[in-house]
Amino acid sequence: MNDLLLRAEGLCLRYPTGTLALDELTVDVPRGCVGLVGANGAGKTTLLRLALGQLRPSAGTIEVVGRAVADDPIGVRAHIGFMPEHDCLPSDQTAADVVATFGELAGLPPRAARQRASEVLDLVGLDEARFRPIGGFSTGMRQRTKLAQAIVADPEVVLLDEPTAGLDPIGREEMLALVGRLAGFGISALVATHLLDDVQRVCDQVVMIDGGTLRHAGATQALVHRTGALRVEVNDGAARLADLLGVAGVAVTLVDDATLDVRVDGDEGHVLDLVRDGADDLGLALHAMTTRRTSLDELFLDQPR
Amino acid sequence: MTTPLMPPAGAVYDRGYRPYEGERGGRGAARAALVRVSIRRALGLRRSWRQKVLPWSLLAIASIPAVVNVGVKYITRNTPAANFDLITFREYVGVSTTLLLFVAITAPDMVCPDRRNRVLPLIFARPLTGNDYVLAKVGALTVVVFGFSFLPQVVLFVGQMFVAPQGALGYARENAEVVWQVPVAVALFSLYWASLAVAISATTARRVVAGVALLATVLVSGMVASTLVSARGADPEAMFEDGSLWGLLSAVDIPVRLADLVFLGHVDPQSLVGGAQGAGIGVALVYLAVVAGSLGYLVFRYRRVQ
Repeated sequence: MNDLLLRAEGLCLRYPTGTLALDELTVDVPRGCVGLVGANGAGKTTLLRLALGQLRPSAGTIEVVGRAVADDPIGVRAHIGFMPEHDCLPSDQTAADVVATFGELAGLPPRAARQRASEVLDLVGLDEARFRPIGGFSTGMRQRTKLAQAIVADPEVVLLDEPTAGLDPIGREEMLALVGRLAGFGISALVATHLLDDVQRVCDQVVMIDGGTLRHAGATQALVHRTGALRVEVNDGAARLADLLGVAGVAVTLVDDATLDVRVDGDEGHVLDLVRDGADDLGLALHAMTTRRTSLDELFLDQPR
Repeated sequence: MTTPLMPPAGAVYDRGYRPYEGERGGRGAARAALVRVSIRRALGLRRSWRQKVLPWSLLAIASIPAVVNVGVKYITRNTPAANFDLITFREYVGVSTTLLLFVAITAPDMVCPDRRNRVLPLIFARPLTGNDYVLAKVGALTVVVFGFSFLPQVVLFVGQMFVAPQGALGYARENAEVVWQVPVAVALFSLYWASLAVAISATTARRVVAGVALLATVLVSGMVASTLVSARGADPEAMFEDGSLWGLLSAVDIPVRLADLVFLGHVDPQSLVGGAQGAGIGVALVYLAVVAGSLGYLVFRYRRVQ
């Protein structure tokens, strides 16, 4: 089994209108749960459509789970599940019928498709609602039905386009929990989203694109590295503590009356001791000391455009 | 003293996820599945009882002439009137035009919701192309219309076999040619309406608009053809070998006149094109043009998803 979920080499796509959606994109995406991150119009959906063989690249090549899409653009879809961003379910049919239908369309025999539909609807938490028409479903239930149809044929990979779009906080939590479980089922997931927090929480790899070009690719944890700063929260008097630490030769940035960022160069333990002792000397209540990490948002915003 | 263990009042089971290791078809299986799904939808299967009423009522209505004909034959079996046919197999293909209402409702229901609910991107994320979609939809509707047109013919044939004075085998021998004529004529009839109806339905996402557009096409083309034939002096009420090629403009007449060619070898003289020079070839050419044009438009319409 090929270890790559997706490989793109010099991938370009120019729409007939002249818009360059992807420009020389070269990236190897390992299997697992991978976030495809970018602002609206960055080229995420275009990349998904190229992976599905629904668009032909203007230049370059794309492989999905080791299969060159150009060689067999139809056949490669048998190994892929797809969950579009927009509403795409017939409202007059039950969830069980819709999911079974898409199981059949993926090549499963009718009986097996119905059996699998029942199982995956159970898995996404729609066991009791599966015989109700989709027209009466909430947004969260529709999103789960879309996820169920994507995994009903047990694909090698699912392409999820903004899976948490339009969901309330609880629905979002539940959807992210489901997406996070996919890798455990042996299904790799490419999650296209502009919500970096979602990626940071469930994806072990991240690919950032902007304007059709690659900005970053790698393990999420490697990107969300330590900043070398310590966030210190006290009761009022952060300015006095900042002065004291400055005298001790520690670089400090005052955030507000109760918060300061302390630069950690060299021995982190020594700096922690200085902060603790300084707060004690000034009679300040030390509420929290945390190591600051970059968020994906910061990483995305810091990149030169 | 030890407390006896009580069985749990309830339990939660996480059945987890089971990978699928069974049979898995390719593009052919996906195509067949799309045909199956479309046929189920047309017949109202796995849908509410309201969706079942129309197709099955129409099948019953379409069978009435056959049942009446067989009944009359039975009552008059020992009289000279026994040889009189209320309806012939050829004419019965024309009676299937009552199924036009069924086609005008079913074709839009097969095609329009896929656009309206934006299901197409999901369908084309499966191993299917635009051509597969077109063939599956037209094929499914052809099968359903064929079934609904052919079954009453079977009722007519089998019923007459049993009431025929010469006996069942004698009747079958005397009418052996309809065994191929009926299925061929009905298949041509079904393909014509399925292609045209699906093509018209593909122009809009609204079912009502598509259904009305199909009926309007039939009515308007029939009226135009009738007016033009009358304008050259023919009496549309008694149009015996006095029609003209303007009659080829009538969408509803084409498959019926093609059935004439299958059963008689020539166009029925008592029709809009009856008696016109080259009417048979004209009917065949217009039939081919309508079917090919409809399929060509559909392939063009769904080409972007290849």
